[in-house]
Amino acid sequence: MAQALGEDLVQSPGLQDDSSSLGSDSELSGPGPYRQADRYGFIGGSSAEPGPDHPPADLIRQREMKWVEMTSHWEKTMSRRYKKVKMQCRKGIPSALRARCWPLLCGAHVCQKNNPGTYQELAEAPGDPQWMETIGRDLHRQFPLHEMFVSPQGHGQQGLLHVLKAYTLYRPEQGYCQAQGPVAAVLLMHLPPEEAFWCLVQICEVYLPGYYGPHMEAVRLDAEVFMALLRRLLPHVHKHLQQVGVGPLLYLPEWFLCLFSRSLPFPTVLRVWDAFLSEGAKVLFRVGLTLVRLALGTAEQRRACPGLLETLGALRAISPTQLQEEVFMSQVHGVVLSERDLQREIKAQLAQLAQLPDSAPGPPPRPQARLPGAQAIFEAQQLAGAQPGAKPEVPRIVVQPPEEPRPPRRKPQTRGKTFHGLLTRARGPPLEGPPRPQRSSTSFLDTRF
Amino acid sequence: MGNGTEEDYNFVFKVVLIGESGVGKTNLLSRFTRNEFSHDSRTTIGVEFSTRTVMLGTAAVKAQIWDTAGLERYRAITSAYYRGAVGALLVFDLTKHQTYAVVERWLKELYDHAEATIVVMLVGNKSDLSQAREVPTEEARMFAENNGLLFLETSALDSTNVELAFETVLKEIFEKVSKQRQNSTRTNAITLGGAQGGQEPGSGEKRACCISL
Repeated sequence: MAQALGEDLVQSPGLQDDSSSLGSDSELSGPGPYRQADRYGFIGGSSAEPGPDHPPADLIRQREMKWVEMTSHWEKTMSRRYKKVKMQCRKGIPSALRARCWPLLCGAHVCQKNNPGTYQELAEAPGDPQWMETIGRDLHRQFPLHEMFVSPQGHGQQGLLHVLKAYTLYRPEQGYCQAQGPVAAVLLMHLPPEEAFWCLVQICEVYLPGYYGPHMEAVRLDAEVFMALLRRLLPHVHKHLQQVGVGPLLYLPEWFLCLFSRSLPFPTVLRVWDAFLSEGAKVLFRVGLTLVRLALGTAEQRRACPGLLETLGALRAISPTQLQEEVFMSQVHGVVLSERDLQREIKAQLAQLAQLPDSAPGPPPRPQARLPGAQAIFEAQQLAGAQPGAKPEVPRIVVQPPEEPRPPRRKPQTRGKTFHGLLTRARGPPLEGPPRPQRSSTSFLDTRF
Repeated sequence: MGNGTEEDYNFVFKVVLIGESGVGKTNLLSRFTRNEFSHDSRTTIGVEFSTRTVMLGTAAVKAQIWDTAGLERYRAITSAYYRGAVGALLVFDLTKHQTYAVVERWLKELYDHAEATIVVMLVGNKSDLSQAREVPTEEARMFAENNGLLFLETSALDSTNVELAFETVLKEIFEKVSKQRQNSTRTNAITLGGAQGGQEPGSGEKRACCISL
């Protein structure tokens, strides 16, 4: 159980198991002494492929040192050496340091610092009964094969309960989305609940806004974007998928909503998350494109999938050797898809969606609300005066009337430039303590919140 | 049309499982297609599916069973799920009245997205927990009758009526299909739904010999 809290995760020296979290449907015969957990905590794990290219111990040590150095001067690192951060994230954060690095990358540490009592309040408050029932029903159904989540009273399920409940209280209009379960669970495997909570907030609001809310409008948009990218980058695969009637909504949601935590071997999941927290949503697209190519990239593979079911089956049956972290991630990083390509395609698809007369109900997706990774988040937080003591968490501070008369609407002024936290609604738990004095060197009043 | 596959079948029927989160859809699926049950199967996010071929008389019917997330918000992304479905099991948990109370909403959702001729069975699952029952059998049965639905109570845990539920639906579909074939004089393509449902392989289902690469 200690492994979730940032301590050295290496437990079985020399054991290079790639255990998969893909749930088997065979009944759990019970936790504990009979079935050993692997180094990530998965009990019994499906047959593991040995990981021949796990980096040697001294390389890991070197990387750990680099990260310790980078994280001890995080602001300086992010202001001047983001490229190095990005590179190191692509290589993979050493397990022992994820707990330290993830909150920094996603800006959760700033949120937490600026909202010192918030999580505690949320965790102690009674939840909305409707959500509580739904959340409760799902607690034992996230990573059931992971030792941390086996027991209902253990801090896995309890942590999940508190974090998910806290989110529904923090953002009542968003409520609970089942996919937040696996995401929160992976966070809880590495972080204490409060930090996990703020990371979840960042993922749901900044990395992937519009994913977890009641209409999931951004998922629908991204599905169209994905298909368009397929058409451009893997035209034969695209054609095949169209012929057999496999639309992206039949496989993409679980991938993207869960950040691949249910679809890849666990070590690879962690590598994807390292890159995702660093570079944002485009990593999801790159991973998705890689998976589709691995499953259906050759004519022979497509021939073996004459129909819809076979095709969907192929997408789920990629051999674990091809999903092994080093091999897989190097392909992911090699996908020719830049942030600019992605934005262009998003814009195009958004325009197309807008022309459809009868789109599904709900608000239109707002991809501009999405921040593309750690650097953008850092800049936004800086802009919002994210220095010790300042509060970029707009929802509470917006309630404080600014000194100068200003229109309450801030969207036009902050579009694309400011931390998304500023764009969310002005409701939430009451502000603690007096408002902070203006610290920013600019006179932009719209960054005072 | 077997191109070397182990099973030969005459028909493919797509059946969807719908109903509130937690009622047991995934376990009904696994019980029917793999004879498995798990207390801790993962929450369904997105779409799952499994198949099983059954004999109806002399015809081999491949049941293509689809399962999806029951939580309300997933409705936004699962409309494609219904395409081509010729049968549906609308599942509620007979120990949780709330899951039965929303059955009408699910029916509406179903008819909004699927063919009007779709065969629907109302399924009260978790009959092994009958001591915790909150939905009287008669009440559900009446509702089913009044709405033209088949009805059964099942337990994915102890297997009660699971086979029967699926087979009844499949038989019903089969009969509809047969009748339509008798009535149709011109076309040999039977449509109860879209491309994937109720059609013989070769006309709708893509077989290797029919694909142009």
